[in-house]
Amino acid sequence: MFRNFIRKLPTLLLLFGIGSISIFLFHMLPPITAEASVNEEPVSISLEGLNIIQTLVQSDQHPDSDLACRACHSDTDATVEFPSGETFSAQVDMGILAASAHGTSSSDPLRCTSCHAASSYQFPHDDLEAADLRQYQIAKSASCEQCHGQPHITGHPGPESENPVVCTDCHGGHDVLTVEQLQAGEGTDACVDCHTQSGVELVDPAALTGLINAGLFSQQEINNDYCLACHSQPDIEMEFPNGDTKSVTVDAMALHDSVHGAGNSWDELVCNDCHVDYRYPHEPLAVESAREFSIEKNQVCERCHEQKFDATLDSVHGEALMEGNLDAATCTDCHGAHDTPVPNEPRERISHTCAQCHGDIFDEYIESVHGEALTTGDPDVPTCIDCHGVHNIGDPTTILFRVRSPELCAGCHADEEMMSRHDISTDVFDTYVSDFHGTTTMLFDPEHPNADPTKAVCYDCHGVHNIKRPDDPEAGIKQNLLETCQKCHPDASANFPDSWTSHFPPSLEHNTLVYLVNLFYRIIIPFTLGFLIFLVATDVYQRIRSLIKSSRS
Amino acid sequence: MATAPAEKQQRFPRFRKMAQLEHIILLVSFTTLAITGLPQKWPQAPFSLWMINLLGGIETVRIIHRWAAIILILGSFYHLFASGYRLFVKRERMRVLPVWKDALDLRDYVLYNLGFKSEHPKMPKFNFGEKFEYWAVVWGTAVMIITGFMLWNPIAVTNFLPGQFIPAAKAAHGGEAILAVTSILIWHIYNVVIKQFNPSMWTGWLPRRQMEEEHALELERLEAGGDPWPGAALEAPAHRKRNYFIVSAILGIFILAVIYYLFTFEETAITTLPAITPEVITPLVTPAP
Repeated sequence: MFRNFIRKLPTLLLLFGIGSISIFLFHMLPPITAEASVNEEPVSISLEGLNIIQTLVQSDQHPDSDLACRACHSDTDATVEFPSGETFSAQVDMGILAASAHGTSSSDPLRCTSCHAASSYQFPHDDLEAADLRQYQIAKSASCEQCHGQPHITGHPGPESENPVVCTDCHGGHDVLTVEQLQAGEGTDACVDCHTQSGVELVDPAALTGLINAGLFSQQEINNDYCLACHSQPDIEMEFPNGDTKSVTVDAMALHDSVHGAGNSWDELVCNDCHVDYRYPHEPLAVESAREFSIEKNQVCERCHEQKFDATLDSVHGEALMEGNLDAATCTDCHGAHDTPVPNEPRERISHTCAQCHGDIFDEYIESVHGEALTTGDPDVPTCIDCHGVHNIGDPTTILFRVRSPELCAGCHADEEMMSRHDISTDVFDTYVSDFHGTTTMLFDPEHPNADPTKAVCYDCHGVHNIKRPDDPEAGIKQNLLETCQKCHPDASANFPDSWTSHFPPSLEHNTLVYLVNLFYRIIIPFTLGFLIFLVATDVYQRIRSLIKSSRS
Repeated sequence: MATAPAEKQQRFPRFRKMAQLEHIILLVSFTTLAITGLPQKWPQAPFSLWMINLLGGIETVRIIHRWAAIILILGSFYHLFASGYRLFVKRERMRVLPVWKDALDLRDYVLYNLGFKSEHPKMPKFNFGEKFEYWAVVWGTAVMIITGFMLWNPIAVTNFLPGQFIPAAKAAHGGEAILAVTSILIWHIYNVVIKQFNPSMWTGWLPRRQMEEEHALELERLEAGGDPWPGAALEAPAHRKRNYFIVSAILGIFILAVIYYLFTFEETAITTLPAITPEVITPLVTPAP
């Protein structure tokens, strides 16, 4: 054992000697010089720097590990030069850093190495990987994600862009701003500078602060709040190539209160449900005018309302649109866009909706017996759509509409229950059909080329939109029956109107003569036929008997 | 026409050529009127619409109906003039008039059919059923022509009559149509087609077996050498003929004029309604609330 130790002693002595010399030599070296990797000029710690270090060492607030970094970077004239030739001061204003969101005044101050990882920033520093300052800034911003794992979405171009906007561009580097500061309007200079440089419209610091306060940058995903951050701002407009402007301010409450909002049976819709795949910055407009934009945007309604959308395509409005009439009503013209109300509540809303374009007709209608009752909240009277249809609104001037119109009126006027509420006769349709006009109209086939659609239908006598009570003292049909007849029968004389049964089923009281004639035939026909059938039956009986008789014999 | 009774004649003359022609005119016009008219009685029946469209639409059907009516009216007036000539000029006996014996024949016919009587009643040239049919046609045609005229010219008619006559005429026209068509289908078709085909309206002759059953009395008369058309061979006095032709010419011209006016009497209604085209698109200045 000892022999072994003796044998190895020279080697141990040698190692000890080398170690001692090394330590000695190390202590004999000149003072520490900090070197920027590219900059050859040595940097020495000044007296002031040492003082700072001393102060910092005494401070129990600051992490010890920053000491080495601060020793050099707190006070230096050194610059960093990039391969591109750009230079960048290596000095860090420790006061600003301390006051920043990440500084000593914050609840959880960061170390230098929190962002500038110790492994990469060991002194002497390695060569920079970044080709220029911008590349360096972009690369450095990635370190924010170490803590800020889910950076908020912004409309700004991301890292995939050629010219991305990164964290530090807005928030600052060592002078990183707190949320409160940003909301107070600090830091918007950076926005303005960048926007001015890149030609982005928003350069008003107040407006920018407004957007920040509206939560534009507090979003984790694209949702209503994200969109509304901009679109809730008043008086924002979109301009079209043809010079049209369109307000793009959205009333968030109206949207929330609309049928697509909180009360939606499916789910409250979000902006992107209709504005599919909209991102900021928005795609450039593909249409010329505001109207074309509306028409194009209406296509999206089909996603949920396919049947109604398809019905509308076949309607007068859809056809007019197909023919190139851009004024033809589309979904949002009647239903509204963001403030879509329940379309039939109150019922009056329906007719008022149509009145937006069909004002004259509405004025006539609202004075009519139907229109007047509608305004009193009568749930039975027809609104525009009860006769014209809702989405599949057909052309009311066609022959087909004309000849089917009595059945349309009969839909309500032959409804016992509904008419009993208004004390109106339900005989009107049957009595019409049993009269000459109605008979002809019922037998009319609109497909037939020889068809003559001129026989009177309900609205020829009663009026179309301006229907009044038949006994209305001024405009009632009873007052002016002869004139009404003479519209089609110019030679009609005073007796002529009585040839119309006035919708009364024949009875002893009304249309007595017709009643008596009908009564006569109601008796004579069964009597005659019964008698003839009896005679035929006896004859058949006799023939069968004689047939049986002759076959027996 | 009459042949020797000894030969046991197999068929007997029954209808003159003109009577056969009148029947064809009546058959064609009546059927046309029924086909074009009845669908209008039930305008809501799918069959009616099908039939109307098959015939070329309601307006065409009405034109056909009116032409058929003209033919029926002309046929009817021919019958009246011809009958008038036979009755007033030739003074033939009017054998189609109902007599008391017809009622007895009817009674006996029913009793025989039911087995209460062993003998079929012996009936004359026109038996009770045929007389009933004839007078039913006279009555029905009169009703149809009068009410049809009223429906055709309601404005002219209401110049003289109360307005309610028009719907009453419509009711009568429809009721009478149903009565006539159903009577023909039940009674006439049974008796001349179903029971046993009666060829006399097409040939003018009726076989002995049918004569024996339906017109035994006439058969006896003919076999006894009677003239099929008693009095037809008589030569009427010239002045009677002349007077009748004058009267019938005047009446005929009047009737033709009336028929002509049926088509042109009045313009009941204008053919095209004035189009109601209010200004459709009239946007509000301010949007509705």
